[in-house]
Amino acid sequence: MENKKKGLAKILGPSMVIDAKPILEQFAEDHSFAMPNKPSLLVKPENTLEIQEIVKWANATKTPLIPVSSAPPRFNGDTVPTSADAVIVDLGRMKKIIKVDRRNKMVLIEPGVTYEQLQPVLSENGLRLSSTLHPKANKSVVASLLEREPRLIPRYQWAMLDPLRCLEVVWGDGNVFTTGEVSRPGQLEREWQKKFAQVMAAGPAQTDFYKLVSAAQGSMGIVTWASIKCEVLPELHELLIIPANKIEDLLDFGYKILRYRFGDEIFLLNSVNLKRLMGEGGDLPPWVLFVAIAGRSVLPRERVEYQLNDIREMAREHGLELLKSIGNCESSEILQKAIKPSRKPYWKLRSKGDCRDIFFLTTMDKTPEFVSSVQATAKAHGYLASDIGVYIQPMHQGVCCHCEFSLPFDPQNSKESSVVKETYIETSKVLLNQAAYFSRPYHMWADMVFNKDAQAAVLLKKIKSVFDPNNIMNPGKLCF
Amino acid sequence: MTLKREVYRAFEDIVGPEYISEDPAVLDSYIYPLNGPAIHLGPYYNVYTPRGEAVLLPGTTEEVQKIVLICNKYRVKLKASSTFWSVQGFPSNDNTIQLDMRRMNRILEIDDKNQFAIIEPGVIGAVLQAEAMKKGLNTHIIGAGSSCSSLAGATSYSGVGPDCLFMGSSNENLLGLEWVMPTGDIVRAGSLGSGIGWFCGEGPGPGIRGIIRGAYGARGAMGVFTKCALKLYPWPGPSALPIEGTIPAYRAALPRNFKGYTLAFPDWKAWADACYGIWDAEIGYIAHRQFNFLGRDLKAAMVRILTDPTKTLYDLETLLKDPEVQALTEEMKRDFQIVMAGMTMRDIEWQDKALDEILAKTGGWKVEAMNEPQISNWSLLYLIRLGHKNLNLVYSGGYDGCFGFLGPPDVGTTYVEDGAEFTKSWESKGAMVDAGGDNMMGGIGGIGGGGNCMWENFTHFDPHDQQSTEGTYDYFEACSYQFAAERGLPPGMERKQAVSTGADGKQTPKEERQRALLASPQPEVYRYQNKIKEILDPNNLGDGYYLTLDEN
Amino acid sequence: MSLQDYQVEMERCSQCSYCWWIPLDQIKSLRFARGCPSVTFNHFNSYSARGKYAVALSLLKGKSQYTPQVLDIVYKCQTCGSCDIACKVCRYNLEPLETILELRAKLVEDGQLLPAHLPIIESLSQEYNMVQGPHAERGKWAEGLSVKNISEGQEAEVVFFAGCKYSYDESLQKNIRSAITLIQKAGVDIGVMAQNETCCGGRAYQMGYRKEFKSCADKIIKTLEKSKTKKIVTSCADCYHSFKRLYPKIGLDIEVLHTVEYIESLSMEGKISYKNPIDMTVTYHDPCHLGRLGEPYIPWSGAEKKVRNQIVVYEPKKPRNNGALGIYDPPRRMLQSIPGLNLVEMERNREYAWCCGAGGGVREAYPEFSQWTASERVEEAKSTGAEAIVSACPWCERNLIDAVSGMGEKLKVYDIIELISLAT
Repeated sequence: MENKKKGLAKILGPSMVIDAKPILEQFAEDHSFAMPNKPSLLVKPENTLEIQEIVKWANATKTPLIPVSSAPPRFNGDTVPTSADAVIVDLGRMKKIIKVDRRNKMVLIEPGVTYEQLQPVLSENGLRLSSTLHPKANKSVVASLLEREPRLIPRYQWAMLDPLRCLEVVWGDGNVFTTGEVSRPGQLEREWQKKFAQVMAAGPAQTDFYKLVSAAQGSMGIVTWASIKCEVLPELHELLIIPANKIEDLLDFGYKILRYRFGDEIFLLNSVNLKRLMGEGGDLPPWVLFVAIAGRSVLPRERVEYQLNDIREMAREHGLELLKSIGNCESSEILQKAIKPSRKPYWKLRSKGDCRDIFFLTTMDKTPEFVSSVQATAKAHGYLASDIGVYIQPMHQGVCCHCEFSLPFDPQNSKESSVVKETYIETSKVLLNQAAYFSRPYHMWADMVFNKDAQAAVLLKKIKSVFDPNNIMNPGKLCF
Repeated sequence: MTLKREVYRAFEDIVGPEYISEDPAVLDSYIYPLNGPAIHLGPYYNVYTPRGEAVLLPGTTEEVQKIVLICNKYRVKLKASSTFWSVQGFPSNDNTIQLDMRRMNRILEIDDKNQFAIIEPGVIGAVLQAEAMKKGLNTHIIGAGSSCSSLAGATSYSGVGPDCLFMGSSNENLLGLEWVMPTGDIVRAGSLGSGIGWFCGEGPGPGIRGIIRGAYGARGAMGVFTKCALKLYPWPGPSALPIEGTIPAYRAALPRNFKGYTLAFPDWKAWADACYGIWDAEIGYIAHRQFNFLGRDLKAAMVRILTDPTKTLYDLETLLKDPEVQALTEEMKRDFQIVMAGMTMRDIEWQDKALDEILAKTGGWKVEAMNEPQISNWSLLYLIRLGHKNLNLVYSGGYDGCFGFLGPPDVGTTYVEDGAEFTKSWESKGAMVDAGGDNMMGGIGGIGGGGNCMWENFTHFDPHDQQSTEGTYDYFEACSYQFAAERGLPPGMERKQAVSTGADGKQTPKEERQRALLASPQPEVYRYQNKIKEILDPNNLGDGYYLTLDEN
Repeated sequence: MSLQDYQVEMERCSQCSYCWWIPLDQIKSLRFARGCPSVTFNHFNSYSARGKYAVALSLLKGKSQYTPQVLDIVYKCQTCGSCDIACKVCRYNLEPLETILELRAKLVEDGQLLPAHLPIIESLSQEYNMVQGPHAERGKWAEGLSVKNISEGQEAEVVFFAGCKYSYDESLQKNIRSAITLIQKAGVDIGVMAQNETCCGGRAYQMGYRKEFKSCADKIIKTLEKSKTKKIVTSCADCYHSFKRLYPKIGLDIEVLHTVEYIESLSMEGKISYKNPIDMTVTYHDPCHLGRLGEPYIPWSGAEKKVRNQIVVYEPKKPRNNGALGIYDPPRRMLQSIPGLNLVEMERNREYAWCCGAGGGVREAYPEFSQWTASERVEEAKSTGAEAIVSACPWCERNLIDAVSGMGEKLKVYDIIELISLAT
């Protein structure tokens, strides 16, 4: 251990190599059912070169590395070590917003940049970023995008990975590499002079390298910067609330809005989740679809007005009503909650102290079946169905949707904890058999998913061997 | 007849005798001339791709798999193509069999709710669009036109086109897919791999989607794609295109929620500003600098010819002397076409107003002569169906695109006049059509939502004429090694296939390929691809169109 | 012209494969998107116009030799011209159909003949018809009609040409007998060639037998010149095409009309009127040789030249046969004039209509392919909801009748004159 510490200190200086037990213990577990395991060290690099050196060192010493960008709470077990000699690569010091480009609506940031840090800077430049639902303030924006967390605005997702574009990656073999249109590492200034803006994600050449790092849970390499497509900051921004007693009643309307590419933020919550999001809520209907309309630099008021009129007519055709408030929540408050970072404690932990999410991809028409089966399975395992929060987020312009069930519980209550665990495991199995697509298979889902798609596992292992031949990047995750 | 008999018989047993041929004449209808539309190679006069050993027409994925297994067993190379456009769809080595995929031409499903279609390789853009329109949907059609296989564009080549602004590129639209790998294993990517539908191409985890294609695909060098799902887009128009007019001047008068304009600008800065304005306002269904491929000096006259069934190319010279045409030529020097589709009437009215505001800000204008109904409706149909893309070859049957400045509008506009002057000086030598120097065509957004433009400079020549062909080749050499080199740019798109195929129509020698890739901005890309190839194609059934580097 | 003269085209082919399809703008479905029966049925690219250009070039360059498959490629094609119009949507300097016909002529010249064609050609030289009937029975169809015989020196304002198919297919002959009666009722002085009528040679031309065509044409031109008739009317689309497009090249100067054009003109003059209702939904099949290949002949003689360095044009301006001016509207207007009759269109119509499958010597040499082609048309007609398919050519009618019968379908097949007769 001392040798390892020395080796890393040589790269980073002793102060950036940490073996203090209390700090390491913060990384030993998270809000998932992953088996706790304390890392051996934590390092805090501040640039690509240092990361490259760390990776080379890890290859030489066969030491597992776990890249971590976000501060706690963490949820998915992806940063929990599977071996005791793992070293956490904490990217929290890499917080530079490298460039904001209003004309091209691009921002280039390091992995330590959080939602809380980025959104105000973008606002100052007349831009914003389609975010996750009430994101964790200290969540790394890059990590969130790399892990394909669902964004609130489906219309901006021509590609599933949008708005993520170009990356600089240190692969598991120690090579520094740029993906997408950027010609080579270290050339940004030169590219900007030539008026390139790191807009195109594909490639280079015949491989979409950025896809190989996405949803990889840090098992392929470490991303050192990313370019991200932004949108024009709205001058007007209104949220429409469309309540319903049954989720089925909202789907055709939702599909129509998505097809017309009207609205910006579009998401669906059950009353339980809405109440948790708002912290209260009063008397809420079982299901609410939210559609935000934004007016931007060109004819903002007219845009909001015409869409409002059209959406109102469409709602009427579907027997739905548009509200400006619901329960005791005003639409503007809900909108702000949805798009602004969550203050501590993170909103999902507020009601009971802990929470487990089950999420997967499906198509929107299938969501009612999933809701029914989750509720039935929960009930069968003694979990109160009325406690289950549901969040449905259309993605990829409506081709599919992220379907998320939140199971809050009191971590101090061992019975409740074990009920949740059992419910979580059993529900995951039921959903998998019911054609839920766990496209981001964290911890216990990985085995289930790769058993079902063995061919993918075989190929992924081969691909992994290309980029991380010694399997030093977060081993034990996915099928590696 | 160079395939060993046992190998031929093995193939024949798979597809049946009626779907295999090794007749020399048949095989010669599956070679490709490098003097015409080679696409980013040559042109080389009187040079053809090598003759295949046999052509097979498989009917199912299972047949494809069996063929690939036989290829592995006997070390026979393999090249599959669906619509046989452009040189990369043809063998570049001897000892190669060709798969003609056209029998696999089903649209297996159009999921109108979730907006995607599941197709086989033989389905072309026009067919998919026609079927999608019946369900109120549309499909992205690649720039090569609607005669091309939608699957091939999505899996194997580039896949950009005029509608990318609204409908994304093929790369963005590719969902689940079925792939017979060079080893003969069948892989189903994304959600399909778990047997739960085609709606997602990504994952599980990083998934294998990243190795299937990048900025472009493996160009037929990495197995055979047998099915894929493509994302579809709203079509707020009639269930079939209402075609009117006399061949070839077909046109479509669409309802009032469609608007098609040719816009023009006082300078290139204004042109670029308008692109950014359109992207910021999020308007437009199709946007493309389309008709300039005919040449800045010729396009106004050519549009008159193409929209009047009584006219032929003979009328060109007369038209060019017409003061009205001359004025129009001058007016639309810096132009592009835009089609806007309103999902509702309020939507189109707002988009129209927003466009007017952008034009007012940039000093741009709508070109009235191009917006007359007869021409506007012709242009509308042209851009929506892309059924006239073969006009690329209208002048004498040979064209290729060069430069290919790819990047934000500010990149292309930096070089456009410079490139035009350079081209004009070459046009004056006589080998190429004297079209005006600026023959640049390209999308106002080559990815969903905009953000980049591509400036492909069309070069028209006579493939039958040795001097014309060779003179064009010299011009392309100058584009890469004079124009681009002097400006610190890499060789342009005119040399895109040249790394893989040489002047004899065959795969370039390995050393040559390696040299070129070592000189690329990031050679590591090709070293990784080499490792990927070693995994996926251990018996090297593919050719040099999948770029690999095994030297340091 | 020789095949060599078309090498320039072979080298200028765009390789775009538009020739596989109907014009892309006109595609309305997956089911009926294809234009070329030959490549659709035979699959290999070689069977398309693009492929035939390549095969021809390979032969010309000596890279390949005649083989049974080469003969199959060249002859298993109706020469329907679908490829030609699809190509010309974008190309102004290619003539795919001319090249295909030239390729056939070259094969015939080189003795590369199809055994199935030999008895037909023999019948043509011995019996002057393409259907292997005895010449002695050529005029039997007109028996009982009171009509002049121009070949026997009688003069008539208009001569009606029956053609081989009508002359020998008894079940179809009611159509031309009706046509004669209708025209006569309209007060027209009409004559026939009767027993002395011989084949127009058009089908032989399609099959590559140029000498035989010339011999047929010379005979007929001689007879017509002798008769001093200024107008020839025929109900056969193949014959129409021969007279309209092929004969002027070798010296016929006479007004050529298809029956649909002529009867329509008579009705517009008020000499024929449609009184009897026919309650039926029908669809109209455009015969290739009346539709896209039925454009007027415009003589041209000139040469290729280049403008703007490399743009290929023709001096003087060359007429462009791309199907724009075929006979499409007269039959439709006639059908729409019949009370109670509802005309619906098939997806592929007018210049991009699907062929009936009979032409080019295919019916005789490749019956399976010929019937498949017709059955595709029957399916397309059925998809419109029509009770009947109506055409204006005996070759189409026969092939469609046979297809309907072979398919066990109930779709009725009419020649347009049959319906017109019922309506008048």
